[in-house]
This record gives sequence, C-alpha cells and structure tokens, in this order.
Amino acid sequence: MPSTETSELSPVAPPKSPSRSRWRSVGVLVVLGAAIIVLLSQGILHSLNYFETVDQALAQRSSLGTKVIRLEGVVKPGSISRTSNGASFVITGSKDRQVFVDAHGSPPQLFQADIPVVVVGHFTSSTSLDFEGTQILVKHTATYIAAHPKRVKAPNGTTR
Amino acid sequence: MMKELSQRLLGPVTFALLALTIWLGLWVTPPDKVQGNLVRLLYVHPAVAWVALYVSFGTATIASCLYLWKRTRSWDMDRIAHCAMEVSVVFIILTLITGSIWGRPTWGVWWAWDARLTSTAILGVLALGYLALRRANDDPTLRAKRSAVFAIVSAINVPIIHFSVQWWKTLHQGATVFTSNRQLLVHGSMAWTLLISFVGFTLLFFWLLRARYRLEVERDAAYRAAFDEAVSLRQREGVL
Repeated sequence: MPSTETSELSPVAPPKSPSRSRWRSVGVLVVLGAAIIVLLSQGILHSLNYFETVDQALAQRSSLGTKVIRLEGVVKPGSISRTSNGASFVITGSKDRQVFVDAHGSPPQLFQADIPVVVVGHFTSSTSLDFEGTQILVKHTATYIAAHPKRVKAPNGTTR
Repeated sequence: MMKELSQRLLGPVTFALLALTIWLGLWVTPPDKVQGNLVRLLYVHPAVAWVALYVSFGTATIASCLYLWKRTRSWDMDRIAHCAMEVSVVFIILTLITGSIWGRPTWGVWWAWDARLTSTAILGVLALGYLALRRANDDPTLRAKRSAVFAIVSAINVPIIHFSVQWWKTLHQGATVFTSNRQLLVHGSMAWTLLISFVGFTLLFFWLLRARYRLEVERDAAYRAAFDEAVSLRQREGVL
C-alpha cells in the first residue's frame, strides 16, 4: 500500500508542449501527403482518362505506334469468335469506325456482343488497325432492366 | 415526446428497412438483362457509397463548419464531426470492398486505377488522416480547430469523386439511378428496392452515429469524473 500512495502523490508530469503536438500534426500531414501522392501516381497522374476510345485511337494512329494503351469500343454483334487462347472480335466507335481485336486470356463473365469493353494491349504494327489485347475489361452501363419483364409463373409456382 | 419516440424507433425502423432490402433484393426483384444476378449488389454498393460520400462525410463537414463558426461553436459539434468521420471510414471501406466484389465478375478485375476509384481511395486516406490528426493533438481546442479545418479541406474531394465519371473517362459506370438529364436508369421493382436501400443505409448511419456519440459523451463524463475525483483527493491530502 505505501508504494501505491507514493506513486499517487508523485509529481504530475508537465503537460506536453504545444510544439510537440505541432510536430506530430506535421508528421501526420507528411505521411498523409505521401500516401495521396502514391495513390495519385498509381492512378490518375499520368492520365486522368482511363482509356482511349476507338475514334481517339484512330485519330492518333500514327503517334500511338505499338504503344500499350487501353482501347474502348462496343463489341460488334456477330464478330466474336473464341480462339484457343482467348477471343477475337471487332470493336466499333462512332460512325462505324472499327478495330479488329485478338485478345489473349479468358474474357470476363459479362463479355458479350453489343457491350462496351476496354481492351489493354497494342496495335500489331505502326500502321495496322489490328489490335492485340492482353486483357479485356467490360465497361457496363448504368441501365438496369429486368431480364424477363413479362415472365410467367411456372407450373410449380416459381417465377424465376 | 416526438424526439423520444423517433429515437426509440430509429433502430427498429432501420433494421426493418434493411431486412426489407435483403428480402426484395434477393428474392423479389428480377435478374438484370445484362448482369443477371450480379445486379443484386445494386441494392448494397450505391447506398453504402451514398452514405460514405455524402451523408457521413457531409455530416462531419457541416459539423466542422459549425464548430469553426463562432456563433455555433460547441464541443457537441466537434464530437459530432469526430463520430461522423469514424462512421464514414467504415462506410468508405465498405464502399471499396463491395465495389471490388462487384467489379471482379463485371469488369473482370478487382480494382482499376480510374478517376472514380482512385479519388474514393484518397477520400478513405483523408478520413483516416483526420482521425490520426485528432490523436496527434493533446490540446482539445487545438485538436478541434485543426481537425475541423482538415475535414473542410478534405471535403473538396467529394465533388471531385461525384463528377469524376463526367469529367474523365472511367471504367466505373456513369451516374447511377439518374442520367444528367434526370432520366431514370433503373426500372420497375429494382428502382423501389434501390430507394428502400438508400433510406435503410442512411438511417443505419444515423443509428450508428447516435450510438457512437453516446459512447463519446459517456467517455467524456467518465474522464471528467475521474479528474474531479483525483483533484478532490489531492485537496483532501493537502497537496493542492
């Protein structure tokens, strides 16, 4: 018990100086700034736009060469064919401008005709309109419509 | 009387609406024409993002403004800002997780460094930074002022997130629910379920905020009582 009393009556430590708080605040802000710069450098510093559309890519065709880009367009109905290592298809921009895509790897679950996609890859040569893709990303729209709006009840009573 | 009743009903109504969302979202609403059953994440992700970006971060920002404004300055405002930001962190993390779960089967990737996703991740870092800044300051007045200024500056990121899908080309879809010319994009029972999910998650935020605020009040009261007791003990012992 005496030891407890001694500790209770021991002098209270002086309050921490404001400058210590200030330095800690500065430290937090520096770490925070660094984290934000890392995120920005990973994300949007080099390009605020995630992809080039077919129209933009064809307009800059000569300067793009065989540089790796993300190319966006809508999958042309009837153009999809499954290949041994992926899929080939045609993507279109406005005014029916087209690029043939040969993509490797398995496409996402939603990949289908008439859907916007972003293909990561490059043109096969500096003048070619054929695009070699290494990854397909599906860019779905924000429109949600029931798959079977006029569905009927099955004999067992279920509706789906 | 009304205030007491609404406080009592907040919890049950919140959980009833969330239960209704789950029931409608999983069993009643139809699958989507393109996304099939993946559309059921529509009843979670947009509502959680709405709370994270606008409701909780907005509450923290408004409370911070009210704290900085001399006429409305009070510890209650500082406490509300702090508690709202804590809840905001939870909802921002949930937004990123549910978005990632939705993105994998639809886009084909868990994450993309596009403007919408990156700016949302930055908001999460800013919210965590706010909480870190509060812990870095010992003086309550200084802490409240610095964190309020930080919250207001951080809120600049919210409109950037909102308009990112319009200003830049992103993998993330455009505005959900309405187009820029107010055309409804979600059809039939899906729209009603989405609306209920928005109300349910918004009420969940206020329920969590209330619980967190009460905890903070209790903690402050316990701290003050312990301090007063220590002072009176030393006075009795003749130290002070």
